[in-house]
Amino acid sequence: MKIPSHTHPETSEISLSSGLSIGYDKGLAEVRGDISLGQGTHYLLGRNGRGKTTLFRTLCGMIQPLAGDFRIEGNCRFISEDLVFDQELKAPAILKSLLPKESAKEALEFAEKLELDLTKPFGKLSTGNKRKVNLLLAEFGFKNDGSDIIFLDEPFTGLDAPTRQAFIDRWATETNNVVRVVSAHPDFDEMPVPSALIISDGVLNHQESEDMSWGQLRQFLN
Amino acid sequence: MNLFKITLRTLLERKAWVVALLCIGALPFLLPILVPSEFALGLIEPARAQAAWVLLWLVTTFWLFGQAARQGDQNVKSGLGTYFHSMGKGSVRQLVEVWLAHAAVLVPLVLVAILVCCLGASPSGNVGSWVLTNLQYGVLFLVVVLPLLMLATALGSRFGPLIGYLFTAGITFYGLYGVGYLEVATKVESNGLIRLLYAISPQYHLADLTEQLVFQMGHLKSSLFLNILIYLGGLSLITSAGSFLAYRTTAKA
Repeated sequence: MKIPSHTHPETSEISLSSGLSIGYDKGLAEVRGDISLGQGTHYLLGRNGRGKTTLFRTLCGMIQPLAGDFRIEGNCRFISEDLVFDQELKAPAILKSLLPKESAKEALEFAEKLELDLTKPFGKLSTGNKRKVNLLLAEFGFKNDGSDIIFLDEPFTGLDAPTRQAFIDRWATETNNVVRVVSAHPDFDEMPVPSALIISDGVLNHQESEDMSWGQLRQFLN
Repeated sequence: MNLFKITLRTLLERKAWVVALLCIGALPFLLPILVPSEFALGLIEPARAQAAWVLLWLVTTFWLFGQAARQGDQNVKSGLGTYFHSMGKGSVRQLVEVWLAHAAVLVPLVLVAILVCCLGASPSGNVGSWVLTNLQYGVLFLVVVLPLLMLATALGSRFGPLIGYLFTAGITFYGLYGVGYLEVATKVESNGLIRLLYAISPQYHLADLTEQLVFQMGHLKSSLFLNILIYLGGLSLITSAGSFLAYRTTAKA
């Protein structure tokens, strides 16, 4: 077993070597064929319990792979599905504490567009609005020097369609110099998925094509 | 220092620090006038000094240790520990940042207690010695309490807030009062086990200079103060090391 390598180059990249196996006591998924993920958005697809979060935790160095190795070149961040903040903190306090001053200001401006109530304590926000705070933290916490890598664990759960679209648009235009791996359960067949990591039958593989959509990929999940 | 910032903001947002501040800053002036003291007016100042320091111990033990343990637990359960871990911030650095946030609340409270004693309870003569005693008390108090805050956070992160709090508060009361009973027991009977237990017990009562103030016994001689400081500093190192080992940033999968 090799220790993952974390370096901080100008261009972030994730490389998974063939034979990389992830899991806890027993293996959940194994990589067949080398995979390289460059800047852009990559969707991680798989049914519940297939190892999506485990893959994220492995790549962030929180758990060791069962076998094989991988390479992370860049600055990682993992926004877990269950990331929550103190019930009494309001979104501005959270963002100002965790983001640089300028980024926090931009995040709060973006929050207004998303109709996030900035006066309510975190504990009183709806699930979707809590998710907005997490996504703002994710989206405005980048160094923007090309070295960013972010893992988003089911960020769309509970989000309304306009908010989801606002983030997807931003990913495509303003923060497209980031390696972004997003685990998701898409809910409409036409959703474009140009790059997909698919975990199915204990195997992790990578598919990419400009005109690929969720409807075409769904059949591969098991 | 983002974890420090959000932890400090959380502590301030909960507003309980206002109650703590009032307890230490105002109650020492109120409590002595609630009891009839017309026959012993000279007792008011010592009573004020006693109230300030006793309330500081109580506020720290009953409130701040609880907050520290809760924060340790919350960082694991909320996923915040995982978030910082993924950015390369290991458990030692995370614990230090959480601890610093609690220290940033505690230190002003200690300064308030010292101010209350120096401005509102100072004897008419020998003011220099009175101030020095309070400063010595402040230093010894911090040397004992700061590592215990770290311990509460660490135990909270691993065993939950209740155990984190109860263990830390328990060991503090034991070190302040329990070892006194143990000392009596060692004098009454020559039991080797009791002697050993006494020897390895944390003698936190050495940091409690309340009597020194109440009876205006003057400051500790520098050699004695230094000896106590070295002993309590050693204990602090052990407590801190244990805390670093116990602290965890993420929940078990």
